[in-house]
Amino acid sequence: MNAIHLQIPAHADYIDMVRICLFGIASKLQFPFEDIEDMKVAVSEACNNAVLYGFPQDENAMIDISYEFADDALTIKVKNNGPEFMYSEAVGKAAPLPDTEINDLRVGGLGIYLMQALMDDVVVNTAGGATEIAMTKYLAAE
Amino acid sequence: MKAEQFQIIQEETNRETILHISGELDLAVVPQLRSALEPVMNRTDKALVLQFKHLKYIDSTGIGIIVSVLKLRDEIKAPFYVREVPPAVRRLFDMTGISRYLTEGTEAEA
Repeated sequence: MNAIHLQIPAHADYIDMVRICLFGIASKLQFPFEDIEDMKVAVSEACNNAVLYGFPQDENAMIDISYEFADDALTIKVKNNGPEFMYSEAVGKAAPLPDTEINDLRVGGLGIYLMQALMDDVVVNTAGGATEIAMTKYLAAE
Repeated sequence: MKAEQFQIIQEETNRETILHISGELDLAVVPQLRSALEPVMNRTDKALVLQFKHLKYIDSTGIGIIVSVLKLRDEIKAPFYVREVPPAVRRLFDMTGISRYLTEGTEAEA
C-alpha cells in the first residue's frame, strides 16, 4: 500500500485542494471520470464535516488526508483530532430526501448519505478522541 | 482539472430574476451564495431562476441551500425554477432526492 499525505488548515477555503490532489491521483490510477467525480464529492463531504463539527474553537486546527492506493483500489482517509463527531448515530439515519411536503424537508444527514452512496466502502473510526473516515473506491476489473 | 472561480451573475428580466451560478459550489462559497440570494429570494413579483449551465461541482452544502430556497418559495407561493442542470449535478440531485421537488423552466416557458 502506497500513500500520499496532505494536511490542510481546518477551513472551508482549503477543501478544493483536497479535490485537486484527488483528481491527480485518481487520474493517474486510471479511474473512470465518473468515479473521480463521485470520489470528489464523497471526500469533500468528509472534509465539510471535519471543518463544521471537528474543531469548535481551535483556529490552528488541521485536517489530515491520506490517499492510499493499491493495485485495485484507492482509499482516502480524512482525519481530525477534534471531538468525536456523532458519526455512529448519523450513519444510521443518513438517507436521501423523503417524498413529502416541501415544508417538511430536512437536509441533515445528506452529506453522510452521499459518502455512503458514492463510495464502495466507508468506515468510521472514532478512537482516541480523533475521528477518521476511510473511504474506498475499487477500480472495476477490465 | 481546471480550477474555476466560483461566480454568481444576476440577470433581471421582466418576469424573472436569474442567478447564473458557475464554478464549484462548495462550503467555501456558501456565504457568497447566501448573500446573493438574500435580496432576491423573498420577492414574489418575479420568478426566481437558478441557472446551472456552468456549475462544475456541487455537494450537500449547496443542495442544502437549494432546499432552503425551495421551502421559502413554497411558503410565500412564489415561482422557483432551475435551468440547464449539467449531467453530473443532475446525478447528485437524483441521488439525494431533491430532483422530484425541482421545476425545470425553459426560457420559452418563462
